[in-house]
Amino acid sequence: MTDDERFGAFTLEELSDYLDTDRTPARPDIDGDPEAAAALVRLESLRTASRDLLDAEAAEAAGADAGWIASVLASVRTTAHAGRDIPVPDDDPASTLVVTEGALRGLVRALGDEVPGVVVRRTRFTGDVGTAGGSVDVEVSIAASADGPVHLRAEALRSIIEDALAAHAPFVVRSLVVRVADLIEGGRP
Amino acid sequence: MTTTAIVTREPKKIDEEPTLSDADALASLSDASLVARSADGDTVAFGVLIRRYGPHMRAYAARILGHGDGEAEDAVQEAALQAWQRIDRVDDPDRVRNWLFRIAANKALDRLRRRHPHLDLEAVVDSADDRPVDEVVSTRLQVQELARIVQALPDAHRAVWVMREIGGASYAEIAEATGMPQATVRGVLARARRRVLEQMEGWR
Repeated sequence: MTDDERFGAFTLEELSDYLDTDRTPARPDIDGDPEAAAALVRLESLRTASRDLLDAEAAEAAGADAGWIASVLASVRTTAHAGRDIPVPDDDPASTLVVTEGALRGLVRALGDEVPGVVVRRTRFTGDVGTAGGSVDVEVSIAASADGPVHLRAEALRSIIEDALAAHAPFVVRSLVVRVADLIEGGRP
Repeated sequence: MTTTAIVTREPKKIDEEPTLSDADALASLSDASLVARSADGDTVAFGVLIRRYGPHMRAYAARILGHGDGEAEDAVQEAALQAWQRIDRVDDPDRVRNWLFRIAANKALDRLRRRHPHLDLEAVVDSADDRPVDEVVSTRLQVQELARIVQALPDAHRAVWVMREIGGASYAEIAEATGMPQATVRGVLARARRRVLEQMEGWR
């Protein structure tokens, strides 16, 4: 058996590639070649079985995954993404106070979760983040459920973030944009 | 929330407070939303993602490794941890499943290389186990039969076949992951496909 053994006029690789493209565009030369066509039929059922192979393996070991997933997530919780340190205005030259980006993002997420129909995706801080009391632009992207007016949801969130950052952020909010990046199907998650 | 709590260096505290963002609430989010939220540091969102794809990641690693299920579990744990560390660098969040599969394949391949410490994968491709599968199988048993045939492939053949036929990886991706030249990947894949096809003769 050699690598270039042919089925009709075609190699196994050519036939496989043809299947990969869902037989589009159609290749009458392949389809009209009885040996190649017969090989395609077998390759196609092999494809189907191959796709089922992963499901079969996953199902075979059903329940085997809870353990390793729990242990991964336990490790993950100890390696939180803190992000950059943002300095807090402070008159005492002997001390340095910072708030991490991670903490502020966590705050924004928690606020978002209190707003019906809203889930915060990402929060980005740009501008003068490295200076205590600097001017910072804030962009929050969210997923919103479409079973109510999306702009009202976004506005409700923008308003409470504005209040919370005014109270807690160690910077001046120069701009605050809430961007709806995704819609949640089927109402509130 | 007090200012003292906010200036802590431990953002974890906020995550641990009970909010509506528990796993159930996030389960209906799209992959892209979960990736974005994970990249922002939300461990709950990452948990949803790993529960969504973890079982198939493990199955994929297990198919590449062929045997030794403990190995697949170790590989997929490492893969998931690496995914967390790199989740803010996902190019295409809508295709995070493929990204996770790629990491799982890489971790499985690391283990295959350890099985052949003095050889590279390319060098062991022809150490084939030539036992024919002589059982004629019914259609219902095709998947189990295929599983047996794939498991019996030599390590490098199996890895390449699984990445291509199950993982949908391109030749370039397989070449990068295995360190084989693309031409070798093509050759190995051709031989693996041929062997699988031959041994599946029974279910025509």
